[in-house]
Amino acid sequence: ENSPAPLPERAIYGFALFLGSWFGFILYLIWAYVPETWLFSLGLTYWPQKYWAVALPVYLLVTVGIGYILLFGINMMSTAPLNSTHTITDNFAKKQQQKKFQEEAIPALRDIPISEVNRMFFLPEK
Amino acid sequence: RGPRLQLRSLSAATSAVWLAAYGLFALSENSMVLSAAIFITLIGLIIYLHFVKIDQESLLVIGSLGIQVTSSYASGKESTIFIEMGQVKDVVINEAIHMQKVIYYLCILLQDPEDPQGVSEVVPLFQSSKPRLDCLIEVYKSCQEILEQRKTAPQSN
Repeated sequence: ENSPAPLPERAIYGFALFLGSWFGFILYLIWAYVPETWLFSLGLTYWPQKYWAVALPVYLLVTVGIGYILLFGINMMSTAPLNSTHTITDNFAKKQQQKKFQEEAIPALRDIPISEVNRMFFLPEK
Repeated sequence: RGPRLQLRSLSAATSAVWLAAYGLFALSENSMVLSAAIFITLIGLIIYLHFVKIDQESLLVIGSLGIQVTSSYASGKESTIFIEMGQVKDVVINEAIHMQKVIYYLCILLQDPEDPQGVSEVVPLFQSSKPRLDCLIEVYKSCQEILEQRKTAPQSN
């Protein structure tokens, strides 16, 4: 079944990713630091501009920083205002069916209207 | 009773405006900036007292007529909202997320004309004074006493 235990295939995937990520990192360092003339003399003339070796990480970090603020803002925008009916009910609660009451059985689960809940909480019966 | 404006916020706002004006004056060497700043402060205070700062909010429930909500501003202006009893379904204490907190607030549920069980609109009350739960419970109990009477004493239509 699906268990998180280590398997031989997973060990091979892990090692392949490990080698691949080291290769990618060394390649990135070569691209960023080795002077262009040396790369041209090796025949590698069509590599992207070195400008991008600095620009792409900066883009990534700015995106992460904006993402924090953006997520917070989206959350605040999608909170229902105090005067909307979404704070009280929603489509599922309006369309729920009333199950019949059976003796000595646990009552069925349902969304209790807010008036009833308020009476139970704040008006103690004597 | 006079308006209760906090000395802290008044002096903070005045100092901020006058500091900005002095900075502008130091940049532009135009003395009109300073008198304009004083003018703006006075006008801003008057607008705030008349349109923003609510001094008192009151709720009047008459069992056979309706509910009236009055807000009186610091300048003496009073604005009222009246909701007739036929439209009122119930007065409840609702909890909702506001900014980063969950607050309790009293609200009037208006009846949906088509659906007898449905709520068409929610009118929040006491939005400026924001009383706490123990105060809301007292108001809730008094409102429920009055609202129950309209069910047990049927009107002659």
